[in-house]
Amino acid sequence: MNIRICVVVICIVFCALSLVGCKRAEVKPAAGLQVVTTLFPLYDFARTIAGDKAQVTMLLPPGVEPHTFEPKPEEVIRISRAGLFIYTSRYMEPWAEKIVSGIDSTALRVINAGEKVSYRAVAGKDVHEGGKEHGNDRKGMDPHIWLDFTNASLIVDAILDGFVAADPGNSALYRQNAETLKARLAALDQRYRSSLSTCSTRKLLHGGHYTFGYLAGRYNLDYHALSGISSDSEPSAERMIALIREIKSSGTTYLFAEELLSPRLTETLAQEAGVGILMLHGAHNVSRDDLSRNVSFFDLMERNLEQLQKGLSCRPK
Amino acid sequence: MNLLEILSYGFIQRALLAGTLIALLCSVLGVFLVLRRLSLIGDGLAHVTFGSTAIALALKFYSVMSLLVTMPIVLLASLGILKLTEKGRLSGDAAIGLVSALGISAGIILASVGGGYNVDLLSYLFGNILSIRSEEVVIAALLCLGVMLMLTLYYHELFAISFSDELAKVSGIHTSFINSILVLLTALSVVLAMKLVGIMLISSLLIVPAAGALQLARGFKVCIMLAAIQGCSSVIIGIIISIMANLPASATIVLVNLLFFAAACIIRRFIYPAHSN
Repeated sequence: MNIRICVVVICIVFCALSLVGCKRAEVKPAAGLQVVTTLFPLYDFARTIAGDKAQVTMLLPPGVEPHTFEPKPEEVIRISRAGLFIYTSRYMEPWAEKIVSGIDSTALRVINAGEKVSYRAVAGKDVHEGGKEHGNDRKGMDPHIWLDFTNASLIVDAILDGFVAADPGNSALYRQNAETLKARLAALDQRYRSSLSTCSTRKLLHGGHYTFGYLAGRYNLDYHALSGISSDSEPSAERMIALIREIKSSGTTYLFAEELLSPRLTETLAQEAGVGILMLHGAHNVSRDDLSRNVSFFDLMERNLEQLQKGLSCRPK
Repeated sequence: MNLLEILSYGFIQRALLAGTLIALLCSVLGVFLVLRRLSLIGDGLAHVTFGSTAIALALKFYSVMSLLVTMPIVLLASLGILKLTEKGRLSGDAAIGLVSALGISAGIILASVGGGYNVDLLSYLFGNILSIRSEEVVIAALLCLGVMLMLTLYYHELFAISFSDELAKVSGIHTSFINSILVLLTALSVVLAMKLVGIMLISSLLIVPAAGALQLARGFKVCIMLAAIQGCSSVIIGIIISIMANLPASATIVLVNLLFFAAACIIRRFIYPAHSN
């Protein structure tokens, strides 16, 4: 009797799963250029450049860490049918190069959007590299390149080149959209520069993994993070105490935490030092709610600026 | 840095206090689990928690509310492991492997069908011993109290089932009831303590102190006490070494625990040379 019930239950589960599979497998052969991107900034830039001439999708499901992501078969199929695949580096998306090397579609163009960008070392010194090296020497470099808006502009250029090469017919429109996008990035950069120049403290203290080095470097902020670039590393008690002392001696009233990640350690530090917590967005991915609300890279950066102005007590202009 | 000054920080005090309480309850439970060949139940139930957290998030239960979904599922899974060993003619490790595979695969499928999350799932699943909140120290204390209560109420029954289920049954012990209590309490402890200190620490605190104590102990009570001493002192020594040497706390505790185990093995050779081979 029991065995029969088990068999029935297992059958139902399998039927349900295969139905789900069928529903998702119906990839309609849409017209126009198909573009697959890995991270959220690439997705947002690409869809702005595309306008209504191409279909852009983001590979990373909302809320998932890019380091640990593993693509599903359907997604690999989607990449193999696409005309353009855009990623940033082997340190941010270690799986991207592996997938691409396994696809033998001649139509697919692969764009390493971070190739021309100047990478920053975690310690803070700039390292300029040419396009030849394909990021081979970028171990230990900070991969959150889009948080420097000049870099973001270079990423836009790289994406535009890909679009123009893959679909020359619409290149005028793509160029125009990319110019608008770059103008907005330049304006955002100006707003950040003028807003953050009036802050009473220049110490950006972050109770999490090293993420905002580009932002701090560009606007001359003194950035201290609790732990290193790897999201696997664990802070030692000594490091935590050092940061608590830093908070106390700097006299700031806020400690920053990163959205999407658990704020437990930040909460411990903030409680110990008697300060509040503000959230900054790393923007490599967005939450499911933000994605369905159609949030843009600019929305996230405006949110960050508000939080920074509050946390660093800047005078509003 | 000055040790006394470091000990004045609240988060270090909470790590020492809650860590010791969790070590105590894990190492006591561990003696029974290791003897019942269920050593890896901590890892297995962690995987089930991963799967059930995916269900909780799909149903839009966040943070503490997610326990309303995960807790019943993990408790059921622990009973499932027990039933598989009793009825399915499976040994404990195979039963744990089965249930843990189910948990992790269900979690991965649900995560991709559900179309992502609002947070990074893994970063919320496991805690860190340096980020324990004040109210969580109370949870650790209550869990510890629960385990000690079970131990005093059912000491003889637990003792009997640890060595032979058949013999215990023949001598009139309600074995399935006692077994159920043991695994349910383990499941409760694993789920809650994992959120506090992470799964690596829980899993090793369930196995290593018991394994060390079994090297030396000649009696059951002595064994439980040795395991408790090893578990608690490795947490305290581990935290202090991690502060002095600037190392991550959890991993240091696990290594200290393993050193205790190695020491127990060596001491055994001197105390009981006749039995050591």
